[in-house]
Amino acid sequence: MSEMMAPPPPTVAAAAGVIDARKTYGLGDAAVNALDGVDVRFEPGKFTAIMGPSGSGKSTLLHCLAGLDSLTSGAVFIGDTYLAELSDKELTELRRKQVGFVFQSFNLIPTLTAKENIVLPLALGGQDGDEVWIDRVIDTVGLRDRLTHRPSELSGGQQQRVAVARALATRPTIIFADEPTGNLDSNSGTEILQFMRDAVDEFGQTIVMVTHDPFAASYADRAVFLADGKVVGDQAAPTRESIMDQMAALGH
Amino acid sequence: MIGTLARKSLRARLGRNVFIGLAIMLGVSFVAGSFVLADSMKATFNNLFTELSENTDLVVRAELVGANETEGALRDPIAGDLVAEVSAIDGVELAQGSLQRFAQMLDTDGEPIGTAGAPQIGASWSGEGPLNGITIKDGRAPDGPDEVAIDKATADRVGYDVGEQITIVLDSGRRDFTIVGLVGLGDTDGFAGATTSLFDDAAAAEILGAGDMVDTIEIALADGADIDAVRADIAEILPPRVEVVTGEQVAEETADAINQIVDLFGTGLLIFAFVTAFVSAFIINNIFGITIGQRLRELALLRSIGANSSQVRRMIVIEAVVVSLTATIVGIFGGLLVARGIIAIFNQAGAGFPDIGLTMQIRTIVVSLIVGLGVTLASVLIPARRAAKIPPVAAMRPELGFTALSASRRLVGGAVVTGIGVAMFLVGLFVQPGGGTGLAFFAGGGALLTFLGVTSLSSTVAQPVSRAIGAPIERLFGQSGKFARDNASRSPRRTARTASALMIGVALISAGAVFAASLRDTFGRVLDRAVTADYIVTDDSFQGLPPAVAQNLGELDELADVSPFRSIFGTIDDDQVAVTAVDPESFDELIDLDVVEGGYDGLIAGNGVMVYGDAADERSLELGDEVNVTYQNGLESTLVVSGFFDDNSLGGSWYISLDELERASDQTPRDQFVLARLADGVDPADGRAAVEGALTDYPQAGVQDNAEFRAEQEGQINQLLVVITTLLSMAILISFLGIAITLALSVFERTREIGLLRAVGMTKRQLRRAVRWEAVIVAVFGVVVGVVVGLSMGIALAIAVPNSVIDGVTLPWANLLFTLVLAIIAAVVAALYPAYKASNMNVLDAISHE
Ligand SMILES: Nc1ncnc2c1ncn2[C@@H]1O[C@H](COP(=O)(O)OP(=O)(O)OP(=O)(O)O)[C@@H](O)[C@H]1O
Ligand SMILES: [Mg+2]
Repeated sequence: MSEMMAPPPPTVAAAAGVIDARKTYGLGDAAVNALDGVDVRFEPGKFTAIMGPSGSGKSTLLHCLAGLDSLTSGAVFIGDTYLAELSDKELTELRRKQVGFVFQSFNLIPTLTAKENIVLPLALGGQDGDEVWIDRVIDTVGLRDRLTHRPSELSGGQQQRVAVARALATRPTIIFADEPTGNLDSNSGTEILQFMRDAVDEFGQTIVMVTHDPFAASYADRAVFLADGKVVGDQAAPTRESIMDQMAALGH
Repeated sequence: MIGTLARKSLRARLGRNVFIGLAIMLGVSFVAGSFVLADSMKATFNNLFTELSENTDLVVRAELVGANETEGALRDPIAGDLVAEVSAIDGVELAQGSLQRFAQMLDTDGEPIGTAGAPQIGASWSGEGPLNGITIKDGRAPDGPDEVAIDKATADRVGYDVGEQITIVLDSGRRDFTIVGLVGLGDTDGFAGATTSLFDDAAAAEILGAGDMVDTIEIALADGADIDAVRADIAEILPPRVEVVTGEQVAEETADAINQIVDLFGTGLLIFAFVTAFVSAFIINNIFGITIGQRLRELALLRSIGANSSQVRRMIVIEAVVVSLTATIVGIFGGLLVARGIIAIFNQAGAGFPDIGLTMQIRTIVVSLIVGLGVTLASVLIPARRAAKIPPVAAMRPELGFTALSASRRLVGGAVVTGIGVAMFLVGLFVQPGGGTGLAFFAGGGALLTFLGVTSLSSTVAQPVSRAIGAPIERLFGQSGKFARDNASRSPRRTARTASALMIGVALISAGAVFAASLRDTFGRVLDRAVTADYIVTDDSFQGLPPAVAQNLGELDELADVSPFRSIFGTIDDDQVAVTAVDPESFDELIDLDVVEGGYDGLIAGNGVMVYGDAADERSLELGDEVNVTYQNGLESTLVVSGFFDDNSLGGSWYISLDELERASDQTPRDQFVLARLADGVDPADGRAAVEGALTDYPQAGVQDNAEFRAEQEGQINQLLVVITTLLSMAILISFLGIAITLALSVFERTREIGLLRAVGMTKRQLRRAVRWEAVIVAVFGVVVGVVVGLSMGIALAIAVPNSVIDGVTLPWANLLFTLVLAIIAAVVAALYPAYKASNMNVLDAISHE
């Protein structure tokens, strides 16, 4: 379905994206095409949800976008950088400076306090970061009175808020979140979603979030649907209902 | 079922079990090796001496009273005429006189051939076999005054062969010989490391400068002769103080003497072997502790599906026993290698051991099994018991798992054990109940308990201490340093135990260093105060200098005072004492004995004796009192107390004149060293040239000035320290292996954390640095605790030793600093693999690691 296209000039207004991304696991008969020719770009300052059935390649796409994994073929860019050209060291630096992460679980280093976890990417780069900005992030996620606590002393929701704060602390080009609300009750989940929404609205942050939950996806500006490693749908301003319709159409 | 589980788990955790096995194996092979070496050397030497004396039925020799040859006492020679008289006795088939003296072979460049401490022997050739066991390997026996047979080992080493010329320095001077034969003892090529030159029997007495004397007479009896009867007949014709004994007895005495040395050596090795095993126990305990901690969920799952706690315990113990049994068996065989290795090292150093067949006694196997299994069981029982107590619910919530002993209980327990250990150690050193065994039991046991107690205590301070050690690292290395610091203080018990393994080795080295430094400085002070001689001529042959050395020096105009220092054993009031003979006219100018009453006049006049104050007090001696002495050769003499002195740190509490000694003994005089002082106004360079010129025919005489002498003595003490450190190196090696293993396990445990760190931007280099500095913090912690414990032990040891040996404590800061630096480097090396493991983890796999 996707004809080969020339890579767009990196100046194109996209915070990140993949071009004809293919990712194959295994060999021969056992080969699985986790990504089967995906083309997708994420506009700056937008909140995008990636949806799709289990095994459709959502996590794989996210990992490749974030430089944690490499494609079998195709290209990934973040800002104006093509990841394939980077050494491990440069990739690490890119992750530290330009990418923010929120995982489903185990987001924090147990030996560090909440505050230390938030500024960890900055500390790794030997920087102090922008104090005013970090203060603002901390206030936004409402963690002021928990800063000296260690992860074991925080609830799951609070831990996830720390993770979002950490992702925001470096003002990355883009934040990737893989089912960030998957382990939370609906109240905590809603809180996290609202923070991400606020970050997009107030700070112009770009966020890409994988989720199974139509309610979570309804917080996004756009919903991209994957199935069997292919993009099968793309909605702007999705609502719960429009998402449920699309999912039903995909056979769920 | 439990067996199957244990087997599967063993296989799944192969890497870790190999590490555990390695630690056990190293400990066991060192223990087994010590036994094997001692047993094998004893068996070999005993066989050798029995074999050699097989045909010697009787031996005639001078008596030795109140002294023995192991301590260096030499028998007097006996009259050569006795050989003919003994031969004439009925029943004597063959009687041969033998002579043995100093003989220094020179190599083709005219340089003395060294032996690394073994004697340099010149002896009479008594024919090949049957009485002396010598065999010709090449050429023939020496015949006439210009021929020599030398040992094949030396010939091969230096490159001499039959037909070549060799220069040999003897008491009779420097002489040239033609090598006509190469010989060895029995099947061996040499004489256990000694350089040996054999001369024609008839010419030997003249060549060796022995006059018409022989050392001993070996006798073979005719077939059917009654040994007791012949022995009685021989005894009849012997002059006083000459005895006839059986060849068997001589062989036994020689073997006993060797066995004593081997035992001493073996016991020393064994002590270090046990230290190594003890250190392994810490490492093994730590590994079990960590792996069981990591398996909590699995164990809890077993419990929740119905395994009872004794099944869980059994599974863990079975696993441990299988690993340790395998490792112990490998270790026992490793012991053979260790023994071979040590023999090879000694041979490399020129010991020339005969071909030693290794013997493995049942005792060795039993002890090795006890050590191997014991160490493992001691290490695994507590973690296994704790693991068995895991509540099944921990399968779901692993943080519920272990309830470790509370810090306060560990503090109290550690303090009590340390207290008992320190008390035992001090009692052992200062009260010394039960002599040598008591000392070993109390001091050794006390040290062991102290180590255990300190380990327990140190886990309560591991957190603050490792944070303190890490503080500068964090300041220097930022976030990597912070991780190192956090991780090191994260599980204080793990850090403490890993560090403790190192602590033991460092403590023993530090204690040794304090002892050696104190010994060295005390000796230095003694030299400074007491030695006023400008030159000390030492004996590099270890067989005593011929009196011609002192005579030659005495004739030099450049020297004002010259005195030999000559010791002999004697018995006074049933106590064995060393009596030192000096030249009383000049000795006071060379050594200041700190004379407090009387003086050397009595010695100059004749049979006067100067007595060390304490020895005099013991016997309530006054000036002018008479003292009866029996010298080692059985001659008796009466000495008159003519002075008291207060400094016996150079050795010797009884000083007599050379004349008195010569009256008392017709033994070949041998000087331990010769002291000399420059005449006024002589330039030291001229003096030295003169001294060296006078000694060209005595290559075994080393000329040293005061500073050189001191440096050499200090060098010897330092060498002692090197030996101790080398023997502890196995324990230290294991402790660094422990650091590497613990770190690797910790890295594995923190896989997800590492994945996360990498995901949010930690570089590989930063990660490696964090692991590396964590190792350094642990190592520095171990060194710091070890130095504190070791310094305390060393100080106690230095104080416990009599003041004449050590009169003040010196702290060897340079050594300790060196240890610290070395430990940091070793820690960095130990961290190489774990750091590599950590930095090369696949980020994605790590994040999703369970
Ligand atoms: N390391 C791997 N080795 C082999 N196959 C893999 C690997 N990782 C993912 N896959 C396969 O690739 C496909 C896509 O997996 P991916 O994790 O991206 O799915 P997903 O959309 O994130 O699913 P979920 O919603 O369950 O998280 C699946 O078929 C999966 O089995
Ligand atoms: Mg997924």
